[in-house]
Amino acid sequence: MNLLDIRNLSIELINGDKNILAVDKVSLSMKEGEVRGLVGESGSGKSLLAQAIVGVLDDKWHVHADRFHWRGIDLLRLSIEERKALISRDIAMIFQEPMACLDPTTTIGEQIAEAIDTDSLSGFFWQKQKQRHSGAIKLLHKVGIKNHSACLSSYPHQLTEAICQRVMIAIALARRPILLIADEPTAAMENTNQGQIFRLLASLNQLKNMSILLISHDLENITHWTNTITVMYSGQFVEAGTTTQIFNKPLHPYTRALVDSSPSANFHLPAKSRLMTLPGSIPILQHLPIGCRLGPRCPRAQQACVKAPSVTNFHGHKVSCHFPLIPIKTPRKATNQKTVKGVC
Amino acid sequence: MLIFTFRRLNLFIFTMLLLTLLSFSLSFLFPGDAIINISGAINATPSQLIEIQNAYKTDSNIFWQYIAYLSHIANGDLGLSMASQSKISTEVLNLLPATIELSLVALFIAMFIGIPLGFIAAIKHNKTADNVILSISMLGYSIPVFWLGLLAILTFSISLGWFPSAGQISLLFEIELVTGIQFIDILISDSPYKWQAFADASAHVILPASVIAVAPATIFIRLARTSMIEVLETSYIRAASAKGLTFQQIIFRHAIRNALIKIIRHVGLQFANLVTIAMVTEVIFSWPGIGRWLIESIYQRDYTAIQSGLLVLSCFIFVVHILTDFIYAALNPLARGNKYGS
Repeated sequence: MNLLDIRNLSIELINGDKNILAVDKVSLSMKEGEVRGLVGESGSGKSLLAQAIVGVLDDKWHVHADRFHWRGIDLLRLSIEERKALISRDIAMIFQEPMACLDPTTTIGEQIAEAIDTDSLSGFFWQKQKQRHSGAIKLLHKVGIKNHSACLSSYPHQLTEAICQRVMIAIALARRPILLIADEPTAAMENTNQGQIFRLLASLNQLKNMSILLISHDLENITHWTNTITVMYSGQFVEAGTTTQIFNKPLHPYTRALVDSSPSANFHLPAKSRLMTLPGSIPILQHLPIGCRLGPRCPRAQQACVKAPSVTNFHGHKVSCHFPLIPIKTPRKATNQKTVKGVC
Repeated sequence: MLIFTFRRLNLFIFTMLLLTLLSFSLSFLFPGDAIINISGAINATPSQLIEIQNAYKTDSNIFWQYIAYLSHIANGDLGLSMASQSKISTEVLNLLPATIELSLVALFIAMFIGIPLGFIAAIKHNKTADNVILSISMLGYSIPVFWLGLLAILTFSISLGWFPSAGQISLLFEIELVTGIQFIDILISDSPYKWQAFADASAHVILPASVIAVAPATIFIRLARTSMIEVLETSYIRAASAKGLTFQQIIFRHAIRNALIKIIRHVGLQFANLVTIAMVTEVIFSWPGIGRWLIESIYQRDYTAIQSGLLVLSCFIFVVHILTDFIYAALNPLARGNKYGS
């Protein structure tokens, strides 16, 4: 059974009379104990998708989905309060810029303590207070902060970014989540700190069987840490598969370009020559192309691309493209058999 | 925190020096003889005048004159009132507590009504409640205070008869002046009618204080609204809701404190505005405060009183300003360690 199963999730920005479809029918599924990477350029809607899952988007955004299952429970059938209670119990999220995500006027200790679930405590309120305090210390030890008393009594501005991110992870762990969504947890961090945070997340995944949805714009960096990867472009689903599938045999021209643009894929290039890139840049929300949004930049675009492609499944490797790079003749009816033949 | 306190005290001393410089120069700028303006001795005999001139060192240069003036102020000698020929320092000591009382009560009314209303408007942003509160605040801000004061007397004192229209307390009660602040005096006095006196004094203060509070309250509504909207859009509020806190917990534990930090510094600034309104209101409600006394001395061209009254009032405003700075530092951990500039 899938842990998380989302079909055709769309997020609209309500903007006067004209609504903007920021995320267009993205599907995402996760298995228990899996580390999935969610990759895309900045502005591709991956953070929006994560915030929509946790339910922290404000009123400006309108979220719609065909299916939203969490461990077999249909969340769309639940009331808003029930859904929020269920999600805040099982899903935790850490954000980019950890310093901005901690209340600047409250000590770290209070912020961790208030995240601990009241149901897990027992006794009278003074006993609960003590339990909260000791719980906060344990959480700090879990994320590798040994000097807990100094950390608990300090304010966010007195700590470094990396420590703040550890505190954010500690807060996320407070409710013993089954899924942790990490939204660019190492943005604007030094390399050594990045490694530390990723190692911490990997160990949490291995020791506690916690699933992790790792959001990043850096495909190459997260391949070391993920089992499976979903690629998004400009709010549309591009490709999903295991890390080796995505990295070694990408089916979508966009993923191909992403993999090719990394320096390690360009070792054979002579010095001082340009890296492989797609021409142009990601479209702005006000001027989104119709159909496949990669269309104007895609080297393989044809007339059929003005219609949004449907998702094709090649042995668990899903791709959303009319003209995938390695056309495999599948026994079942391919959605665009005619055009696939044309490419052959 | 020690450095913070030290810096504030430093700022206080230098600002006070500048203020005394201003009031010292006023004695030369006002019409008439500078020495009479500064001392207020209009009926002095020639021999007394020479004595005063010696005391203020008029024969030495302007710097030593200023030093002499400072030493007079430091000794609590603000000169004589030209109109009544009594000591200004005793008059000020009798009148200032009433003004402090009135303006502080007004400030608290303004804060306790304005800030929560602003928060409610921010939480209900772009809904009916928000629009209603904003319209009320616009209306309240545009009403002139002297008209509102007269209207309040007409409605609540004359037609309805709920509150007395003038004075600080009914003349029936004999309260001994100890601290000068009426409420404290009533509470520490051993009069058998203590609580009746307290109720009477409260009834007297409500109407003028509410009239003063209207304009600052509307400003606080707007300040509280904008700062709360800003705070509610920050990432730490979003992170707190992702943490699983309920909306009420987010508001009471995180949002209010952060929004208050942004407001509290403006409270100090608004206090100067409030005291100005209080001066006008004191005249309307015959409140025995320093504002009414100052306006009367302007009518009587009592230059010594104007000079000293300005000094005392600005000193009071500045003290309140510094107090709000301390509250700001207590609420905001970022401000405490601030060593450079502010």
